[in-house]
Amino acid sequence: MPLKWYWVLNWQPNAGSTVNSQILNEVTQCVESINGVKEGRWKATLTFYKPMLRDQALSAEFPRDFLGISLPEQPNKYYFILRGHKIVLEADSSIQLIMEKLQSYKSRVALNFEGFQYQLGDFQLRVGKVVPNQSESLRGIVMEVEYLPISSIEKSRQIMEEFVDIWQDAVSKRSLPGHFMHLEPNFSDYGLADHYTSQHTAVQYTHVMAHLIASGQAVQAARN
Amino acid sequence: MLQQHHQQHQHHLQTAVTAAPPPPAASSTPSSSTTGEAPPKQVALAMDRLGHAARLIADIRLGADRLLEALFVAAQPHQSSKPLHLFRQEDESMRQHLQDLRTVGRQLEESGVLNESLRSRSNSWGLHMPLVCPDGAVVAYAWKRQLAGQAGASAVDRTRLALKAFTDQKRRFFPHLDDEEDGQGTDSVSKKRRNLQALAEDNQDNLSNCKTLSDVLTSLEKDMPNLKVLTYERLDWLKRASSLPASAIDNTMEAPKHNFHSSSILRPAPQNVVAMDKIAVIELFFPSVFRAVVSLHPAGSTDPDSVAFFSPDEGGSYIHARGYSVYHVFRQITEHATVALQYFLGIRSETALHFLLHWICSYQTLFTKVCSKCGRLLAMDRQSALLLPPVHRPYQTFSASKISTQSISSTGDQSCNAPAAYHIGCFTEDL
Repeated sequence: MPLKWYWVLNWQPNAGSTVNSQILNEVTQCVESINGVKEGRWKATLTFYKPMLRDQALSAEFPRDFLGISLPEQPNKYYFILRGHKIVLEADSSIQLIMEKLQSYKSRVALNFEGFQYQLGDFQLRVGKVVPNQSESLRGIVMEVEYLPISSIEKSRQIMEEFVDIWQDAVSKRSLPGHFMHLEPNFSDYGLADHYTSQHTAVQYTHVMAHLIASGQAVQAARN
Repeated sequence: MLQQHHQQHQHHLQTAVTAAPPPPAASSTPSSSTTGEAPPKQVALAMDRLGHAARLIADIRLGADRLLEALFVAAQPHQSSKPLHLFRQEDESMRQHLQDLRTVGRQLEESGVLNESLRSRSNSWGLHMPLVCPDGAVVAYAWKRQLAGQAGASAVDRTRLALKAFTDQKRRFFPHLDDEEDGQGTDSVSKKRRNLQALAEDNQDNLSNCKTLSDVLTSLEKDMPNLKVLTYERLDWLKRASSLPASAIDNTMEAPKHNFHSSSILRPAPQNVVAMDKIAVIELFFPSVFRAVVSLHPAGSTDPDSVAFFSPDEGGSYIHARGYSVYHVFRQITEHATVALQYFLGIRSETALHFLLHWICSYQTLFTKVCSKCGRLLAMDRQSALLLPPVHRPYQTFSASKISTQSISSTGDQSCNAPAAYHIGCFTEDL
């Protein structure tokens, strides 16, 4: 499937500057300034799971970072990641129901990635905000860039890098209190090949999440 | 018995006379009947008579057959007087038919069907008698031919418009054919000289080997080891196109290079099964970069007639040499390739396929080679407002020896031997 790169808006923690909708608007306008055509909405969800155990003392034996991800382009699938073990798994979307019935794992915290998608010729862009499931407070801004004609990560690297330059150029003209950062996970660690798939996407989401946590923006959400 | 016959005959005549319509023209004289009846009736009568004449002619033909048959039977030994009886019977009916035909013919002549004597009648309501043209065609209304003439006149207008449209297209797609119309004087002359020199050079390097299709394909496979060349009969290609993946193939653990080899559903029949003289479609596949489809006409020849580029992941029955990719980058390349094809066919027609295939291979650096003018890979095309990589590869000064894989050893190779690449906006004629 076509290749995607993920970006997260990263800025220096500054006293008083918070992620807010105005920044999101600025980013959206930036997309439109490079001839992006708005197409529709998109939404992905990321869930942290914790095991339901009778004996809480055993919880240390279970991996701490067990994530489940649902992606908009694969409505029938659900993806699991164990970050520590570098395992990614693609399952049917009914697994969520099964987990609920078995009462084996329960959701610790769930985050929604949602926003609009844009078409720029052979590129597809998604700009979205990160909000916890229950609240409306903005935790972060992410961007997804997809180059549709080819699926090889290696072959499309140069194209994506050049797109990055063009994008950074457009963004720098607006005074955003931060800059977009691209995170490149090591796909081969997860056993994934050069041909891009939704499992690659799931891994990228995980990294985005990790970054958000690390930079303290989603600290409130992850702390439980 | 004869008397009875005579009486009946007289009776018939009398009824005919009394039943004559009020207009003075009686039906006994065919010529005056045409003046008295309304044109549609005349036309209907004429059509009737033509039909009658056709039936008589058919009867005459049959009669002739029967006569021949009777003669044949008579020629057999041990025959009774039966054939003679048959012969006499046939003879009588034939004479009757011929007589009737003569009558009808006279009637038709008098009503103007076999000539154009009535065409200028003023009270003909715009209708004219059916016309039997010299070429045998029966035109029910002579004005049909007039209309046909008028249609011809508007056809002249339409042709003029079409010619204008074609001239515009020609200027767009075959710019090299307009070279002599440019008033650039010495510039265009020296450019042509350069082109001819390049042509002469190329002609010397082993092109005499590439006369047949198998030669061309073999030399291509030798020059391009990382290219997959597959050939098909025309109908087989449709099956192949429809089975191509529209989305990712479900084999994430295998390198893309092996996709087609490992998946038995997608693998076409082995190459050696397609006879050289039936090959109509050539597929050039650079894994992860593009898929190009070239059509040959006639099959088995070295005359390409169309080319199209597609994404390596595209699939469906629209993937063929006259189809268009859903992605802008490959659509632009296809358009450019069509012009290049016309150039190769026009300037180097015998080696057109050889050059075309090698030129197509120069696109293996589509996503890695920067534009030779602006030095970037992606650029915003002003006309289409799209971000595109350099989709132009020049074909005028293209030399097949330039793009063998030795000169493209790494993705960043900028040696002057490698063919240049340009964005649409960066490419100008004098480059």
